Amino acid sequence: MDDPLGPLLIRIGAQDRAAFRDLYANSASKLFGVLIRMLGQRAEAEDALQEVFTRVWLRAAKFDPDRGSGIGWLVTMARNHAIDRLRARPPRSDGDDALPDLPDTALRADQRLIAMGEARRIQDCFATLDPERSAAVKGAYLDGLSYDDLALRFNVPLNTMRTWLRRGLIALRECMEK
Amino acid sequence: MTADLKDDDFLAAEYVLGVLPLADRITVETRLKTDPGFAALVSTWQSSLTALNDQTAPVAPPADMLSRIEARLFPVAARKPWRATLWAGSGAALAAILVAVFFLTAAPLPIYTATLAANDSAVSYLVQVTTDGIALTLSGPAPDTTHSHELWLIAGDAAPVSLGLIGAQTLPLPKGLEPGMILAVSLEPAGGSTTGAPTGPVLALGALEKI
Repeated sequence: MDDPLGPLLIRIGAQDRAAFRDLYANSASKLFGVLIRMLGQRAEAEDALQEVFTRVWLRAAKFDPDRGSGIGWLVTMARNHAIDRLRARPPRSDGDDALPDLPDTALRADQRLIAMGEARRIQDCFATLDPERSAAVKGAYLDGLSYDDLALRFNVPLNTMRTWLRRGLIALRECMEK
Repeated sequence: MTADLKDDDFLAAEYVLGVLPLADRITVETRLKTDPGFAALVSTWQSSLTALNDQTAPVAPPADMLSRIEARLFPVAARKPWRATLWAGSGAALAAILVAVFFLTAAPLPIYTATLAANDSAVSYLVQVTTDGIALTLSGPAPDTTHSHELWLIAGDAAPVSLGLIGAQTLPLPKGLEPGMILAVSLEPAGGSTTGAPTGPVLALGALEKI
């Protein structure tokens, strides 16, 4: 697969600052979109973006092109950092305002330009899931919702939510392996 | 249902989805470093789900963001004007100054990195050790005004040695750092421990890794 960011990460691993600038130009808005969507606050997403690119500079030497694409590595790093921040937040009190209004950064279906291959496949597989399980898995992955958040949003006990995710993931894996 | 997920495989998926509480995440991350089989389960889930990211629209970051990041990674504040420095000496003194200028103007070379964290702690630090010193980036709540975070070096079985209070400044580079030595952050009264040893709880710790 064409992976323009992988070679840049390898150069950054050798302390190449020009490559770092190129990588930033080609990935920052993608990562910022992910961070804003998960963190829900622009100011915190800006802090997070700085930290993510700091880590990219420090850890690029560990990028292994045989184990995945450059953009996948970057998004994983951004998601991990966002989740660490979310989970480090003090627990919210229950109530109507318990869930922040997530900014609508999700692409509308009619705007979506889904790449061929894996992206198309995962969409097709999600479409085969029970709609609530599909929404729960996506809520966790895309919006950074915790088990407590998910249980609250879908109004089910926590153990039920664990079962939903487990069943949803099993169905997803079976579909993806077909 | 014809298939099931083994518990480890489900734990790997829960980690990738991000639903675990912080303490469990840190336990999983510690295990990832020592358990290649488990790390492979995590990578598999990461690559299965990564295409979902196409559902999130890009958002342009502020225009000055790259320069903010570069200023943090490649500080130039220590740079001295060339001519003012060169003007001062000749001969051996000039050579010494040239060496000094070289070190002042050269970019700091990264030596080690470390991630400091602990179970049940909301505080974690990313540590960057360069020829310039030790830079720490906090994730989580900063200490209140009556407390400070203090950094300690633990080499083998030796008692912890203070490396200083964590603040905006880069901490001086101590001699004798080696990979595998432990850095720890303790919560101390404002101004730091007065006993020469950590007095408060350890908030985060981790080992130095070669870059």
